[in-house]
Amino acid sequence: MFRYIDCADYGSEFCPCSLAERGECIICSQLKNQKFCDCLNWKGTCVYQEFIWNNEKSKKSREYRKFRIVEKRYLREDLILLKIKVNQGLARELCNIGAFVFLKPERDIEAYSTPISIMESDIINNIITVVFKIEGVKTKALKECDKEIMVKGPYWNGIQGKKYIEDLKNKSCLIIGRGVALAPAVLAAKKMINNKNNVYVVLDRGRSEEHFTESYFKSYGCVVKPTKICNMNKYILDDTRELLQHLLKKWNYEVVLSAGNDDFHRLILNYIHNLDPYIKFATVNNSTMCCGEGVCGSCQLRGKNNEIIKTCKQQFNPLEVFGEELNSK
Amino acid sequence: MKVIVIGGGWAGCAAALQAKKSGADVMLLERTDMLLGLGNVGGIMRNNGRFTAAEELIDLGAGDLIDITDRCSRHKNIDFPGHKHASLYDVTKVEPEVRRYLHNKGIEIVLQARVVDVDMENKSIKGIYLHDGTLVDGDVFVETTGSTGPMGNCLRYGKGCSMCILRCPSFGPRISISQRAGVEDQLGMKGDDSFGAMSGSCKLNKDSLSEEIRDILNRDGVFVTSIPPEDVNMDKLNIKVCQQYALKEFAENIILLDTGHAKLMTSYYPLEKLRKIPGFENARYEDPYSGGKSNSIRYLSVAPRDNALKVDGIDNLLCGGEKSGLFVGHTEAITTGTLAGFNAVRIGIGLRPVELPVSLAVGDIINYEKEMRKTPEGLKNRYTFAGANYFARMKDLGLYTTNISEIKERVKNLNLTDFFNEKLI
Repeated sequence: MFRYIDCADYGSEFCPCSLAERGECIICSQLKNQKFCDCLNWKGTCVYQEFIWNNEKSKKSREYRKFRIVEKRYLREDLILLKIKVNQGLARELCNIGAFVFLKPERDIEAYSTPISIMESDIINNIITVVFKIEGVKTKALKECDKEIMVKGPYWNGIQGKKYIEDLKNKSCLIIGRGVALAPAVLAAKKMINNKNNVYVVLDRGRSEEHFTESYFKSYGCVVKPTKICNMNKYILDDTRELLQHLLKKWNYEVVLSAGNDDFHRLILNYIHNLDPYIKFATVNNSTMCCGEGVCGSCQLRGKNNEIIKTCKQQFNPLEVFGEELNSK
Repeated sequence: MKVIVIGGGWAGCAAALQAKKSGADVMLLERTDMLLGLGNVGGIMRNNGRFTAAEELIDLGAGDLIDITDRCSRHKNIDFPGHKHASLYDVTKVEPEVRRYLHNKGIEIVLQARVVDVDMENKSIKGIYLHDGTLVDGDVFVETTGSTGPMGNCLRYGKGCSMCILRCPSFGPRISISQRAGVEDQLGMKGDDSFGAMSGSCKLNKDSLSEEIRDILNRDGVFVTSIPPEDVNMDKLNIKVCQQYALKEFAENIILLDTGHAKLMTSYYPLEKLRKIPGFENARYEDPYSGGKSNSIRYLSVAPRDNALKVDGIDNLLCGGEKSGLFVGHTEAITTGTLAGFNAVRIGIGLRPVELPVSLAVGDIINYEKEMRKTPEGLKNRYTFAGANYFARMKDLGLYTTNISEIKERVKNLNLTDFFNEKLI
């Protein structure tokens, strides 16, 4: 059976990583206790070759660096936007679909590392923009940062089903989302618009009068439709159902990007999949992450064949994870 | 009835052609942008027992591809150490000819289509997946993906990727389809008990050689000169896939054959040493590009199969070429590919697949390889009409002859004349 599988770090300057060194590479059979080639994906470079030529060692992993906060703005009492001045290389690497960084205050230990998606990366002025919601101990710690912040990156697995978005050219995509999870969809929308796609955004403003992403989406040329989407992630409201049916017919979307929490993904994905089984899905990655290197295990989930997916760097097909009909088969 | 052939080398082309001639709808999937695979840098036909086998194929009604290689030959009936009456086809002419021929026969050729997985139902393959996730349905499948590379294997068992004609980095690695269908691959071994074997020749750019050497190659097809004694490396013969060329003469001499390129009959040869030889001062490699350092590794992916070339344990998968055994050469690939293509159609319409009679070299080699592969020694041997053990066997059994009418008579006596030209559907 065909497996949609990829590693966001494969072929990057961080590949091969320490997983490869210990025989746990996500892609390469030679680096997963096999003696023969049977790689699960191919993107133009051979991980094993890179490993041997790197003296059978992993490449250096990402490290924290201190950067200056150039703007800190409260979008709501529990919602903070940060603009951080980084270096040119990092800004460029973060200007990719699914990019995220780990942030923490300088004085705190590694356990405070918080994965935060990139909403925008300005590669002229080298400024990245992130938005986070204060929810727990780690984001409370980030709230304390005013002038400087520790940044570790780049990471690229902030959106699952990334390939479907990256491959999209001269087509159309529906972004549907609510809350802070819409932040990574902003960067994805910009890339899709650059590839001459039509992007339609259905978003839920929640408690705010205007969602913080709206102005970004509009400035790129997306059509934005604010509406109340669902009730407690349990059912989609009738008006929204009608809207979705209408939009699907009219725009013939190739891909739907769901930008909410996992319950939201499940709700939206299954509803739309039942309306049109040919639509491909991408979802923002909500996994709990600590290390971002596939080591700590906090982001792991099980695929439909009970295989372990290290979601901080491993790609999966969202339909296989959130699709109820498929999972019940 | 649709036959899907996976892999467009000589074996795959033969399988696709035969399945089409037998009446099936045929799709031929190839990973790269050219058919023939290693056939784009080979060229040696009709040497030693390959002459007999080529004539048998013609009489059996499977001579279409032999006709093309004959027509595209730069040299015919030439001798070089250990080998007689060879033909050398022009590697720059043969691929487009074959491609046009298959296309005109109505075969659907899909290039740059890398097959990565199978869709199974019990012991049958329902369809195969391309690298982009496209599912292609079929009734019967023929795997002719070969056993060479990809680069991880060339690294572990050889000296790294040598940038050969298979171009794995550009088009992605070969995937063993039988293995994905749950049948474990078998492995060939080298003389030193390690796995795999290294391709046996590299090709120099002819224009980089001296005018004198070029003239001799153009006129005679062969050029031989001795290697400086300090550079003779007998050990290289042990790792070589082409045991028919693993002779002392090949270690002590530079032997060039004119296939359009100057085919250098050794796995690799350091460029610095090569350029010490008169006439080679400006030499450079054409295939593999890093022929000064290394060559591709083969025989790491051979499917267990019966003598009708059906893969053990899968109801509708056949195999040909190196995938079907430790075979070497185009003639051997065309032989196994043809039988696999024919039996694909028979299986597709519910008939029992057939074996070729052992009284013909083309049948005997398939049976003999299967027997020999069961033994550790047999895994170190290579099977070719052109030399090594199998050519000796052909001579012992009286199978080897260059008498065309005698071969015709043999096939006729078996009632197999034009056997492969008859439509099954």
